[in-house]
Amino acid sequence: MTTAITRYFNSVFTLTEFELRKVRHDTSQIWLRLVQPALWLLVFGTVFSQIRGISTGDYSYLQFMTPGVLAQSVMFVAIFYGITVVWERDLGLLNKLLSTPAPRSAIVLGKALSAGVRGVFQAVAVMALALIIRVQLTLTVWSVLGVFAIIILFGMCFASLSMSLAPIFRTRERMMGIGQAITMPLFFASNAIYPISMMPSWLKPIVIINPLSYVVDAMRALLVTNDFSSLGIDILALLAATIVLVSLASIAFRKILS
Amino acid sequence: MSDNQIVVKNLTKLYPKVKAVDNVSFTVKPGEIFGLLGPNGAGKTTTIRLLMTLIKPTEGQINILGIDARSHPEKIRQFSGYVPQDVSIDSDLTGYENVLMYSKLYGIPGRGRKEAINEILDYLDMKERAKDMAGTYSGGMMRRLEIAQALVNRPKLLFLDEPSIGLDPGAKRVIWELIKNLREEFGTIVFINTHDMIEADTLCDRIGIMEKGKLVIIGPPSELKAKVGGDVLTITSKKPGLMDAVKKLGYNTITESANGQIDLLVDNGEKLIPQLVESLQAKGIEVESVSLKKPTLDDVFLKYTGARIESEDSTFKQVRQTRRTFRRMNK
Repeated sequence: MTTAITRYFNSVFTLTEFELRKVRHDTSQIWLRLVQPALWLLVFGTVFSQIRGISTGDYSYLQFMTPGVLAQSVMFVAIFYGITVVWERDLGLLNKLLSTPAPRSAIVLGKALSAGVRGVFQAVAVMALALIIRVQLTLTVWSVLGVFAIIILFGMCFASLSMSLAPIFRTRERMMGIGQAITMPLFFASNAIYPISMMPSWLKPIVIINPLSYVVDAMRALLVTNDFSSLGIDILALLAATIVLVSLASIAFRKILS
Repeated sequence: MSDNQIVVKNLTKLYPKVKAVDNVSFTVKPGEIFGLLGPNGAGKTTTIRLLMTLIKPTEGQINILGIDARSHPEKIRQFSGYVPQDVSIDSDLTGYENVLMYSKLYGIPGRGRKEAINEILDYLDMKERAKDMAGTYSGGMMRRLEIAQALVNRPKLLFLDEPSIGLDPGAKRVIWELIKNLREEFGTIVFINTHDMIEADTLCDRIGIMEKGKLVIIGPPSELKAKVGGDVLTITSKKPGLMDAVKKLGYNTITESANGQIDLLVDNGEKLIPQLVESLQAKGIEVESVSLKKPTLDDVFLKYTGARIESEDSTFKQVRQTRRTFRRMNK
């Protein structure tokens, strides 16, 4: 029994290890994906903090939105990482991976974890950018480690979401479209760039079921407000969403191949 | 259990619109190179994926080395190696890393792992390029790397789907030699899918001809070719009376065309030619040319299915897939 569990997690970590090796071989993706968050922070953020149209309490608008932009960049990485699974199926990589004794759910979990780890690299780049433009963030060992842990969970959650959709939409082209179609609405229907209190009432229920809101809230607590009163709920909500979506992705995974 | 290593009984795989594999039964013997030959879309890839336990059969049994595929798929995956038709290496990792990843997924213990990988890379003559990114490899090297990945676990069975598709003739020959050596040195049972008649003929001990999901006939290539019914000799002569003379000599003529060309059905054509020319000359008929055509597996295919293997009507998806594979391998 213990050997089976060891084997299981060995497979999961093997996939993640080789994802890290890929990042080491080629970091260009991280830099390319920094363009969008840079636009949000440098253009959108700077302009809106001058308008002062969004009330963010004791904190500057840039401080308020940095965790939101951070979460958004990780969300993009995760959603599009799930799409690469369709790409890998088309290339035959997936067939080969499934021909090993590694359990299928371990392959899904390994892929999800890989997305989370890639998300951490992306987050480090965005955080560095925020520091360069002098956004004040709470950077202690614990806050940074906490943010990393949340990003890993979040990456797993959204990579699983897109892997669950893969057998429904099947082709890369459609998956790219779906990726676009879900990331922006999720971003706008969250507390990433404006507080929930400012939203119209019809939008509020959507914000509450949107996992992105909890991620942003948790990161905002860790990096900006240091108000940890809702951190527990945030983490529980994220954990629940991740478990549900990873399970869904494992079930969906069987159908990707056929 | 007899001495058969793979036993397939009444295997059927239904998809919503097609019967991909239709009531197929066959066995593969120890140390054998067995091939499925047929055009694209015949159900060969589905059969290999069923054997590899990647998909579940609709009906029928698969037993490999005494293990039932339905109840213990992970055991079969543990001792089998698989090289899919499409390029299946990760171009963003080095050659060594590609093999390392699979050795870890197969659960090979850390001690001695590095030596084992290097040994295989050495065996496949790719040690010098092991540290290069796999994306920079030639088509033939990519194929060898894929075989290295499948071999890292020292499989008892190796499944290869179209092993030489898209390779140039030189690289093809290297892959064929490699597969033959595997059998000689390690006694690996090799199961291949191919639509290439020359590959089936040079590589396989026995082949099964597959068309539209059905297994049409199984046997050694030489036996199958013999069943087609001998060699075809084509004789031409400018002198009239060739047909009569040939008939008087008691040969079995198939066709005669207007310009004095005759097709004969004979056994051992190459031995017969001098004799035939001589006897015709004795009758005063000067032979202008003789050509001999040995039966090929394509003729076998034609006899049993009524169609040629290289047909025109492959689907868009197949064409796209084949071309994409080809392009990636020759990048």
